Amino acid sequence: MMLASILVLLVTNPSAMLSEMIGSSTQALDLCIELCAIYVIWLGFVELLDASGLSEKLAKLLRPLIKKIFKVDNSEIQKIIALNLSANMLGIGNASTPMGIRAMNALDDKSGKANFSMIMLIVINATSIQLLPTTIIGLRTSAGSQNPADIIIPTLIATICTTLLGIFLVHLIDKIKNKCKRRRK
Amino acid sequence: MSNYILPILFLFLILYCIYKKINTYDHFVKGAKGAIKLVVEIFPFIASILIAVALLRVSGITSFLVKIISPVFKLLGIPPQLCELIILRPFTGSGSYGILENIFSTYGADSYISRCASVIMGCSETIFYVATIYISQTKVKKLLYAIPVALFCSFVGTIIACLLCRVI
Repeated sequence: MMLASILVLLVTNPSAMLSEMIGSSTQALDLCIELCAIYVIWLGFVELLDASGLSEKLAKLLRPLIKKIFKVDNSEIQKIIALNLSANMLGIGNASTPMGIRAMNALDDKSGKANFSMIMLIVINATSIQLLPTTIIGLRTSAGSQNPADIIIPTLIATICTTLLGIFLVHLIDKIKNKCKRRRK
Repeated sequence: MSNYILPILFLFLILYCIYKKINTYDHFVKGAKGAIKLVVEIFPFIASILIAVALLRVSGITSFLVKIISPVFKLLGIPPQLCELIILRPFTGSGSYGILENIFSTYGADSYISRCASVIMGCSETIFYVATIYISQTKVKKLLYAIPVALFCSFVGTIIACLLCRVI
């Protein structure tokens, strides 16, 4: 991707390359500082959840679902996934990221390849299961919309469809793969 | 309504901790300690992906792609005005919010195009960004079919979004 862009830039606008690269890495640094401030709050929040035993309760609530979707038996990992999913649903995407990273580390089997549960976690996070699109409603309000919240229902339907489709596809591909393996044996 | 969710969540948690006789301050500090370490570790990944996206855009590859793809989108019922948003959405969160605001000011916040764009933003994620950050601390080099499946689902979501906005 980068190679192709640089090749094209060489022909069209060679002077823009470095300034553009520095500009975007500065942007990345800004973003990281912002993220750091956000993570301080949410990681503190999660620590409190852990210490008070609430995260355990939340995980217990979501356990049957997580067990079925992710095929994970370890209760510690189930707990982290439960936190990641609930943060996602509440629309606090920035809070779900540190939990997602933690869950991925716990699921990693050091083989260099993503396993079934890791792929599932990425797909579910990437199809976004937001229940309240707060940022977008805010943007619409400031753009002068008469009814900024009227996108909630279509968004909800669309996001449920994509997440279910994602879960279904990952299960399907996994099944096909297992069948192929068995046949080879 | 949504403004109240977070304050209530925090209030509830702190009250619950007091009820359970837990030292709120100590535990909050303990958790917050992890933030800087985490950010330092994911910074190079964020920077690389932002640099790649910026180069893609300034080189004109994105606008070239938009030109090729828009007739296909038209067939699927997706307005061609949304092409840039749909192509850049998997790569950049802040970038796609910029495009969304642009769409709002060009077509008006209550137009069909703007409502479509809002629903598309709501039901999709910055897939490449999420994937890069999530695996940044693991040994994983190959994500196998994770990205194609995620992209496909998002795209189906986009088609559903455009359909729904016509009906609802």
